[in-house]
Amino acid sequence: MKIERGRPGFLTDWRPNAKLRSRLELLRYRVLGTEIDKGILFKLVVYFVLINVAFIYLKPILYMVTTMVKDAKNILDPSVIWVPKSIYLGHLQEASHMLNYGKSFLISVSLATSVSVLQMFSCAIAGYAFARLDFPLKKLWGALLLFTFIMPPQVTILPTIMLFKQFGWMNTFLPMVVPALFGHGLKGAMFVIIYRSFYSTLPKELDEAARIDGAGMLRMFFRVMFPISRSATVVVLLFAFVWNWNDFYFPSLFMFTAENVPLSITLARMAGEMEQAAGAGEITVYAESIKMAASFLIIMPLLVVYLFMQRWFIEGVERSGLVE
Amino acid sequence: MKRLEAKTLRKLEGSMFIAPWVFGFLTFVAFPLGYSLFMSFHQVKIEVNRTEYTYIGFKHYREILVANGSLLYEELIPFLKQSLMMIPIILVFSLFVAILLNLKFPGRTLFRVIFFLPVIFSSGQIVQEFITQGEGSLSMMQSLRIDYYLKEYMPAAWASPIESVLSSFVLVLWYSGVQILIFLAGRQTLSASVYEASRIDGSNPWNTFWQITLPGLVPYIFLNLMYTVVDLFTFPSNPIISKVNTTNYGSSSALAWIYFVIIMAFVLLTLLLYRKVDKALSGR
Repeated sequence: MKIERGRPGFLTDWRPNAKLRSRLELLRYRVLGTEIDKGILFKLVVYFVLINVAFIYLKPILYMVTTMVKDAKNILDPSVIWVPKSIYLGHLQEASHMLNYGKSFLISVSLATSVSVLQMFSCAIAGYAFARLDFPLKKLWGALLLFTFIMPPQVTILPTIMLFKQFGWMNTFLPMVVPALFGHGLKGAMFVIIYRSFYSTLPKELDEAARIDGAGMLRMFFRVMFPISRSATVVVLLFAFVWNWNDFYFPSLFMFTAENVPLSITLARMAGEMEQAAGAGEITVYAESIKMAASFLIIMPLLVVYLFMQRWFIEGVERSGLVE
Repeated sequence: MKRLEAKTLRKLEGSMFIAPWVFGFLTFVAFPLGYSLFMSFHQVKIEVNRTEYTYIGFKHYREILVANGSLLYEELIPFLKQSLMMIPIILVFSLFVAILLNLKFPGRTLFRVIFFLPVIFSSGQIVQEFITQGEGSLSMMQSLRIDYYLKEYMPAAWASPIESVLSSFVLVLWYSGVQILIFLAGRQTLSASVYEASRIDGSNPWNTFWQITLPGLVPYIFLNLMYTVVDLFTFPSNPIISKVNTTNYGSSSALAWIYFVIIMAFVLLTLLLYRKVDKALSGR
């Protein structure tokens, strides 16, 4: 193609005349909208992006669910990729047997619940103190709170193991529960920070009014402050529950020889067993399906909790100053 | 006199509230921290009912940093490079998603429910399971032979970390759950009236984003940056952290401390940058 740079009048010809321009403008408004976020094109782009990303997030779950219900015929059938032709629940049974599901489930529930409830209370108290109360060396403790948040738990893990060994807490739940009681434990510093930022958004008049009404400090916290922090509490509770439920690191170090272990450990043990079986030459087409069934069994309770809590959770995220 | 009394009384009250946390900090953070520093300078020998310490000074550090650097340099440097690339991807992606989720459109609730799923999954063993299934990669990468072009046009030192980021791209998106939440919460703090005013003044959404949304989100960007750094660096499956184990208390402690210092350097750099940006923005 020839580029006719030298042609006279090139610039003026290139510009659309006024009539055409106004028509184009109209078209632009239709497609793009008077403001970008009201046009058809924009909406299409938004949905396109959202649906694609949502698919990325959903695909592993779909894969998990479809794989775990495939029986041998469906696994070996090359025409079956996603939707199995029949549904087989044997893998779920097998996985729940291998996970010792009944017992481990109860352990996981009680451990995650107790730790998250303790963390919620103790972190709320600490966060409240950091946000609204005065105590000696407040700045220093605040800096140490941030420090705790940044510090990888691996730095302190070895002495902690030795400490808990001294206390005779190994292979019990105490190493997870007791730090939570004092506002630490898994990501405890983050929960304190969430509560601190929530409480520091409240107006000062609030505690003054309560004080004038003669409320003591404990009463004020439990009757006034803690109840109004519902949105932050939902966020902390869900995070604490989910993270403690999923946590593998602490239980694997503190109770690796214990008999009663939470699901995250039984899953790892089960994976080890299966690997060993595969190494010994027991190759089975079911391994994949059983693993997926086990994953499903572990995630399902979280999904149920999440489905129940998601409305409050999203609301809570928006309302609480989740962050500083 | 009376006022002073009230003040000390308040301090006493405050101390009572913070006491459990401080006690927890001293027991579960400060003491182990000091102890691990102590162990990192010692040869630790665990016997049945007592532990023996021999002072060896910086030997563990020297060993890790100089004499036997393979552990640190062959695993840490690629990991750092990889994180260096993952962090901006996570930040931009989560900011983008948060802004989209903040728009009003039909089906928004459903999308929010889906987009918070990573918060539930990404902390667990399940993600590991997905990685081994190959769910972490985009099949597009293979079909476009991206890895081939990378090797062709990038210096070798960067090609492999970039490739591993690309091959676990989906995973990178999976790590964005909390960051999306933080941005969404941050977006709520920007008042609607500012947006209305700018609309009346005739600015288009593109300008509004650069002039209002982005500057308003600067604190959250840095918070997310810090969170992402901490999260990536403390994830139990990362190469260095899995090296901290009970086989050798002394050198494991030294390794943990070296690692910790690197993280602190990252975080302090972030904070410094934040101070600078914040000053520049508020000075405008």
